[in-house]
Amino acid sequence: MDIKQSGQSRLPAGWRTFSPSTLLRVSPQAGLLLINIVLWVVFGLIADGFLSSFNLFTLSRDIAIFTAVGLAQMVVLSMGEMNLSVGAIGGVAAIFAGWLMQVLGVPIWLAAVLALLLGTGMGWFNGWLVVRTNISSFIVTLAMASVYTGLLLIITKAQAFSNFPLEFIGFGQASIGFLSLLLFLVLVIVVLLVVLYRNSELGRWMLAVGANRRAAQFSGIPVGRTLQIGHAISGLLAGLAGVLLAARLASALPSIGVDWVLPSFLAPVLGGTLLSGGVVSVVGTLFGGMLVESITNGLNLLQVNSFWVLFFQGIVLLLAVLLDRLRTVVAQRKGGSKR
Amino acid sequence: MKTRLFLRMRSVTRVDWLALLVLIIVGAIGLSLWQARFDSSYNVYVLLRSVSVMIVVGLAQMVVLAVGELNLSIGALGGFVAVVLGMMLEVWHIPLPLAILLALAIGALAGLLNGLLVAWSGINGFIITLATSSAFTGMSLGLTQSIPFYQLPASLTRFGQDAFGPIPYVLLVTLLVSLLLAGLMGKTVLGRHLLAVGGNRTAAALSGISLKRSLVWVHSLSGLLVAVAAVLGTAQLGSAQPSIGADWVLTSFAVPIIGGTALLGGSVSVVGTFLAAIVIALMNNGLILIQADPYWVQFLLGLLILGSVGLGQLRVAWRDWSSKRGKEERRSYV
Repeated sequence: MDIKQSGQSRLPAGWRTFSPSTLLRVSPQAGLLLINIVLWVVFGLIADGFLSSFNLFTLSRDIAIFTAVGLAQMVVLSMGEMNLSVGAIGGVAAIFAGWLMQVLGVPIWLAAVLALLLGTGMGWFNGWLVVRTNISSFIVTLAMASVYTGLLLIITKAQAFSNFPLEFIGFGQASIGFLSLLLFLVLVIVVLLVVLYRNSELGRWMLAVGANRRAAQFSGIPVGRTLQIGHAISGLLAGLAGVLLAARLASALPSIGVDWVLPSFLAPVLGGTLLSGGVVSVVGTLFGGMLVESITNGLNLLQVNSFWVLFFQGIVLLLAVLLDRLRTVVAQRKGGSKR
Repeated sequence: MKTRLFLRMRSVTRVDWLALLVLIIVGAIGLSLWQARFDSSYNVYVLLRSVSVMIVVGLAQMVVLAVGELNLSIGALGGFVAVVLGMMLEVWHIPLPLAILLALAIGALAGLLNGLLVAWSGINGFIITLATSSAFTGMSLGLTQSIPFYQLPASLTRFGQDAFGPIPYVLLVTLLVSLLLAGLMGKTVLGRHLLAVGGNRTAAALSGISLKRSLVWVHSLSGLLVAVAAVLGTAQLGSAQPSIGADWVLTSFAVPIIGGTALLGGSVSVVGTFLAAIVIALMNNGLILIQADPYWVQFLLGLLILGSVGLGQLRVAWRDWSSKRGKEERRSYV
């Protein structure tokens, strides 16, 4: 990936100028953080053990994996694309890492790197197909998810790998203070993505491609290459989420990733990333992931049946998008027709 | 003479589902030569049985695709309708005809809810139906605790199993539904309006067709079709399972898209959807007959989707290219 750090950008950096429109753009994330805090206070009061160090450790680990899945989707959403194969890529990467470690005895770090490379490759292939065939990414990734999962199951016969070196399992259990190491890893990725979108040429290309593909083409942005790199990054992050989940479960199951499609959209959409592309919020995705996992965790502690948790996830997503829509409408009425 | 032949050839290649028909005939002949069991009346019955639900699932997505929208809640809604049907029959002992009518009404109402949310909020239908799909799945799992209802009336189960020779009764319902839908899309004002919205939203709005009303219509219709599929599927399985629609999302897109329905809206093909379901069923059936790994189904289905969309684009490109060339020739003569 050629992430160029261009110090003096020719495009105006919108986040530095503080205007009402900036405030509006920032506010969904601020609102989300507020909802998170309120929720934590409520659960801290009514759910026994929500703020216990063990629960915070488990929660932080779930947030880390959930956010990684959301980021994988966010990257393609920023280009106005979709990736329905995040789950398939995550599953394949997890199984591949497990196979490398258990059967070939490859050291952990090498297995992880190779699995991430495989994820990147699968994502890149999605992007290549989208660019080459000009078929919408929805169809391409829907079909490729089926192809990847199918291939995985044909090759492995749905076998699970769980005979891991102790260090890999230890990595999934490791904590700094009472928070999981995985969360810190994902936070590093969040920072890297913020830098990518704010300070790099590639990030701006991706947003430009998402905002208006024709305009991007005419301004000399290599749209095809940007799409391929964006899909590759998405594959990389999906692969990472798969490997992290394998470390957390201490086992690479072929079922990893089968239920990721809804969650992958939940976090970025809650965080204010637009489905139509051109607007992205990395921190919002993190807050979105926090919100969903906190609700799930709190409801589990309150002994709400896990089947109903799925129902609440759907309702939360619905309410969030409706509220966001309401906010936009109100803001437009107040601000008049400035744009 | 030459031009007339050429024109006829072109009009034939314009029929989108011709390739599918050829594929089915070649596949069926190939399979029956290769595996003698393929021809058996029981195998044909099994094949047609699996087709009947698949077609209705595909049609449920097709009506939404007609206006350029998506419905991701098809599988979840199917499971929900099946669960409610099972509850009405087993727990509340509601008579079968009434229970079926109520199940269809619930499907249509859930679709109406999708449609109203999409139309009023102006939020992308993808997100709305993704969210409602999670809600429907949660409700059906929460209501049943993931345990299916097995005590269904024998008449329903018998309807799902019985057949005229190799033709299952269920397929007749599917045929009827397809005919009605084809009539609705092709012959009625509503159908024309929906296709117009799918073709060009702005143009349709300027000609006085309400986008919101179209959205509500297609989502309700889609919900109703999902409910039909859920009832048929429950009758076939002999039990009301919340997981009945687990693999319907992929199927629902695969069937109309392979059948030539455009993802961007404006054109549908009921016949294509019908034939595409047969192609997929043939593929499944062939894989079972040669005792291949069941996982091949998923892999090949993915390739089939990509291949058919790719071919469709090639065909459009060729048509554009040939019509452009035709124009140029005419211009050079004038």
